[in-house]
Amino acid sequence: MKDPDSMNAIVSAVLRCGVILSASVITFGGVLFAAQSWSAQSAPLLAYASRTVPSLSSVFGGLATLSPYSVIELGVILLLATPVARVLCSVLLFATERDRIYVLVTLAVLLLLMFSMLVTPFIPLFRG
Amino acid sequence: MIVVEFLAVMFLVSIFAGFVGAIAGIGGGLVVIPILTILFKVDIHLAIGASIVSIIATSSGAGATYVKDKMTNLRVGMFLELGTTAGAIVGAAIAAYVDSMVLELAFSAVMIVSLVPMIREIGRAIPPNPELTGLSKRLSLTGSYVETDGSEVSYNATRPKVGLAGMVVAGMISGLLGIGSGTFKVISMDVAMKLPMKVSTTTSNFMIGVTAAASAGIYFARGDVDPVIAAPVAVGILAGAYVGARILPRVSNQGVRKVFAVILAVAAIEMALTAFGV
Repeated sequence: MKDPDSMNAIVSAVLRCGVILSASVITFGGVLFAAQSWSAQSAPLLAYASRTVPSLSSVFGGLATLSPYSVIELGVILLLATPVARVLCSVLLFATERDRIYVLVTLAVLLLLMFSMLVTPFIPLFRG
Repeated sequence: MIVVEFLAVMFLVSIFAGFVGAIAGIGGGLVVIPILTILFKVDIHLAIGASIVSIIATSSGAGATYVKDKMTNLRVGMFLELGTTAGAIVGAAIAAYVDSMVLELAFSAVMIVSLVPMIREIGRAIPPNPELTGLSKRLSLTGSYVETDGSEVSYNATRPKVGLAGMVVAGMISGLLGIGSGTFKVISMDVAMKLPMKVSTTTSNFMIGVTAAASAGIYFARGDVDPVIAAPVAVGILAGAYVGARILPRVSNQGVRKVFAVILAVAAIEMALTAFGV
């Protein structure tokens, strides 16, 4: 890659896309929620016991009926995915620059991140 | 309190948290957690879940601007993320076996001790620029940015191994306590690696998103990320962080250091109070 500024521009664009996408989805879900529950008491909705434990099927199932919780959860998933997309994109950018040390560094970060996000929730040791 | 009031209050609080967090290189949990637990009596687990969302939102929201402006040092950030992600996994694994009060007390003591170099160098604009040698040279841990007056500030990082060790500790704290530990990241870069203050806070901002994402999976799977809380927090933080990132270039390095020192003091007190169950 000849232009040294292009990496910054691309990483910045990835972050901006993730932010705009997740903010739009979360705002939409928030408006749906506010419209449905405008004057309900907030305390019972915030109780720990009444929390919903989301799964992929509950989130995507709820989207079909435009359930506000599912829409917001989709937005949160997009938000959580943004840093991962940024690290993944860095690996590719360092690879096109043939910067071997940083390909290894960012690849290691990506693997540690994926392990922590996707594998540790299923290991009893980590569930406390 | 009714739903619309709760949403409005959390939205406004989050704008403030995102604004301050973007400038100081921290995640905003410092503001969001006590408001949720003290004002709204929300369970600490849900407050931490909201804090994880706020950290990632601050990081991505301000990061887009900082990276484009080349204020963030990408190489320094990526190198140090090795330490934070590895530390976060270790921290999450031992969380179940360690008393959190001991950790909170230890961490608040570290923050109070770190106030000393922070305040002693409160007037320092730009650190002395040492020669780039050893590991810093091999990893090209160097950079420059342009101030608003057009002057270019060049810098070289020192003691990368000490910085990396600091990040392992920061990552462990994140995994154990569910916070971004941006304060500890800024301290490590400032004290060990002698980066300009704005580079330290913006590079910390860059890293906290990945550190928080590392532990986000487990909080999300437990149902600790409540959509009712996450919605106003995420949108408010993104708006506040966007504005904060536009303001930072116009603040001097000394100004950022002062903001950070105040936040460090507040964070130390808050954590000590939490440890004593207040």
